Amino acid sequence: MMKQTADKPTRRLFGRRDKPKVYLSDRPPLSTAGVIGVIITYIILISWAVIILWPLYQMVKSSFNEAQFQYITSGQRFEFGLRHFKALFNETNYLKWVWNTLWIALVTMGLTVLFVSFTGYAYSRFRFRGKKFSLMGLMLIQTIPTFVGITAYYAIHQIISGPMPFFTRQMMLVLIYSGGGIAGNTFILKNYMDSVSTDLDDAAKIDGCSYMQTYRLIIMPVVRPMLAIIALWSFMAPFTDVLLPTVLLNKNEDLTLAAGLRTLISDMRTLNQPAYAAGGLLIAIPIVIMFMILQKQLIGGLASGSVKG
Amino acid sequence: MALPLSLLNRIGNEFPRKNLYLRDLAEGKTVSREDHPYLKQLSDFQDKEAAFLKELETKAANLSANSDPTIARLMRSLFEAREKSAFYRPYVDLSYQAELDYETANTMATHLPQIIETHKEIKAEIAANQAAYQAIDPLAEQAAKTSLADYQRQTKVARAKEFSRLKELKKQGRIASKALSNAKKNFVRSQKMTEDELRLRVPSNALAGEAKALRYREKNDVKRLEGLMMAEVNELTQTIPMESDKQRAIHHYFSWPLPGLGQILNKQYIKGALFLLGSLFIYLVAIPYALGYGNYQGDGVAGLITLGAGGRRLDKSVIYLIEGVIAIILLLFAFAIAFFASRDARKVEREAVLGIRPKNWALSKRMISEEGFPFAVTLPSLVLITFIVLVPIITTILLSFAGWDPQHQSKFSWIGLTNYINLFVGRGLAGGLFWRILSWTIIWTLGASTLSILVGFFLALLLNNERIKGKFLLRTIYLLPWATPAFVTIMFFSIMLSTGGIMTDMFSALAGRQLFVKDSITLTRVALILIKTWLGSSYIFILSTGVLQSIPNDLYEAAQIDGASAWSKLTRITLPLVLYQTMPLLIGQYTFNFNDFTIIWLFNGGGPPNTSLYGNLAGSSDILISYIFKLTMNNQFQSLGAAIAILISLGLMAITYVGFSRSKAFKEMK
Repeated sequence: MMKQTADKPTRRLFGRRDKPKVYLSDRPPLSTAGVIGVIITYIILISWAVIILWPLYQMVKSSFNEAQFQYITSGQRFEFGLRHFKALFNETNYLKWVWNTLWIALVTMGLTVLFVSFTGYAYSRFRFRGKKFSLMGLMLIQTIPTFVGITAYYAIHQIISGPMPFFTRQMMLVLIYSGGGIAGNTFILKNYMDSVSTDLDDAAKIDGCSYMQTYRLIIMPVVRPMLAIIALWSFMAPFTDVLLPTVLLNKNEDLTLAAGLRTLISDMRTLNQPAYAAGGLLIAIPIVIMFMILQKQLIGGLASGSVKG
Repeated sequence: MALPLSLLNRIGNEFPRKNLYLRDLAEGKTVSREDHPYLKQLSDFQDKEAAFLKELETKAANLSANSDPTIARLMRSLFEAREKSAFYRPYVDLSYQAELDYETANTMATHLPQIIETHKEIKAEIAANQAAYQAIDPLAEQAAKTSLADYQRQTKVARAKEFSRLKELKKQGRIASKALSNAKKNFVRSQKMTEDELRLRVPSNALAGEAKALRYREKNDVKRLEGLMMAEVNELTQTIPMESDKQRAIHHYFSWPLPGLGQILNKQYIKGALFLLGSLFIYLVAIPYALGYGNYQGDGVAGLITLGAGGRRLDKSVIYLIEGVIAIILLLFAFAIAFFASRDARKVEREAVLGIRPKNWALSKRMISEEGFPFAVTLPSLVLITFIVLVPIITTILLSFAGWDPQHQSKFSWIGLTNYINLFVGRGLAGGLFWRILSWTIIWTLGASTLSILVGFFLALLLNNERIKGKFLLRTIYLLPWATPAFVTIMFFSIMLSTGGIMTDMFSALAGRQLFVKDSITLTRVALILIKTWLGSSYIFILSTGVLQSIPNDLYEAAQIDGASAWSKLTRITLPLVLYQTMPLLIGQYTFNFNDFTIIWLFNGGGPPNTSLYGNLAGSSDILISYIFKLTMNNQFQSLGAAIAILISLGLMAITYVGFSRSKAFKEMK
């Protein structure tokens, strides 16, 4: 029997007998098949990384390529420059789109968080008649795509803006986003809040807190991580949704970023593919960075909102 | 409902009747209202009471005035309470109302002296504080100020010295940088504490702080004590029963036509006023709207039936339909208000018959803020969901039974199940495509989702190997497709795969002939599924990585000892655990892809068109949801689109319902 210790390297591993190496790992040494397996694994992993990176690289490259005009085509030489970014800012309504998206996103986020904190708290902490029934209702409503009601949205907007002319289509969009977000987010927040012990509530109650105070002073600080995630998701929705703004908003300068950028590749009059790539890059960078930093929380939020066995 | 023999209070204690007339009535004796001895006694008491109260008012007004308004007010209350207590004492056995008045007066008479005392104490302390402030010894003040200033001057020097000493220690490697920053913080904090202490030693500062605290108490202490007293008084109204000759609940009927009226008849005025606001909504908003007044174009509920037939040329049936839906929802809200008002009034009345006193506003308010809390806070969400989510859904349901098609754009009528029948038998220009599109939708859903799941899981499994280096980098790269907004990447793929695009040319070179991805049905479909795999596997990868990392290593070690092969470890440990934890999210992948309009629309607009198979209404890569979009937005087959949307929604809801109602979270919910 040979002992495998750091002091007495007697066993032959990778090296030759006359050059014994110290094997420090607590894993069993790899067999030849194992080595091949690891190599194959590397090959697969790296090729998938290339498959992911290549299109993104192309996008970055074309947004900086001055040699390209309206279309992004293959076989172009590369000439570095910021012309497409300049075109984006000077020739399109890009800044206007950014502004539209920002305020729509902020208001949507505020409304969603406000509504959802109340509904989530009510569903998590109270027993009331119709709770189970209405929760099931919320759950089912949530599965119906927002898009189903598209014809009605036009008409509803017409009906509301009749007596209230200041009610723009963008405001309608905010209402659709926040109203559509209530159901699913209520469910996520309720689940998260259920994991917070009700002893906290009882203690607060004994100290004379009203329900409102209990929520504001005790529960909200505890569930703040989930509220932050909900806020983040609802903030991002207007940045990534193309459909509703395209359908609902009719003037180019009213569009949101996603819908506006689409006009750069779908509308023959404003066609400018490299500018599209540049604009897409500008939105993608902050969102990607945020996802990188917050990936654990974002995933956690999704998973805890799901219905587990 | 007959008169009960004995009375109840809210807690459920039983009390004998004091009103002998009513007791005789309850016992079934025939008594006359005119000459019952008890009633005479009672009216005698009531006369005396009126005279007493009148007298009390003049007496109270003549009380010696006090310069402090709070004390004057409290003294007056105390005087009244004492007088009342003395007056009502002999009548306690005569009626419960007198008992309540007596107990109330007694409670106040015991509490008020203490409240007055507290107020006076605070006043005295304030005066003492002011006197002390006037009498500060200037020498002592000066001395304390000097020592504070001295210390403040020294702090900077001391701090610099201490900091450099700490830095030196750090340089020598005797403390870590974390310890350095902590020591710095601690030093600054202790300096600050000494400084605060010295500052409080300055007499004027100390007295000013005290004065601030006293002002706060002056403002709040009396209020708080009075609140406690009133809470006790309110409690009395719920423990001492009442007697009334009421036998049947009647007032609540009045709350049906005018919510709030019943409450006002029950003498709950503030609650009544609130319900009257609801009445305003019913009579100024809901009913006029339902009758067609104040409609944008429609005709209230009637519009739902006529759909604007025979109206002006500009009138649109769809507006009539939606306004009809809104009218019905407003009527439902109105009905709910009337229902709750009536139910509330009836409850109060029924309790009154039993002897339970109606709650006064303070108690009602407390009840509303406790029991009504969940309803009150979810109401705004309910309203928003009703109008933004429910109205469109109901509209869509109704539209699917109407005939809104290219021939009937402005005006359409109800056509029953025709749309659904057309879909099922595949009849007509638009309906004929249903099954063909459905079959591609299913292929697409199964293909794209399954491939994403397989690839994502496979990658997670490979990367979870402990022998692989560079995990962080690879993981970050694999995250990218999920993190980048989907529309950005989809549209860029669309650019790269169009004719002359980078990827098209690359694949053409590989295939050895010119490819036209976006003009070929098969290539477009394959491209869609592959792009979806590119996008979707990223999310599955992150999900399964999380689960894989959370599987405890002992499981594998135990399996190893039992001689399990790598394959059986995978199939017996890893797969079941990962599947169990991510199953709902994986099912979510399928339902999401079934409706993933964005990728279909952005990649090739549902194309390429194929008129022999799909006519002009759809492209060959259209899935149901994008077909609905085309029917609704481009081709004016709104009703048929609505019918498909309803079918899809029903299917999705059924899947969700089954999954959700079986879940533990739902079953265990109270």
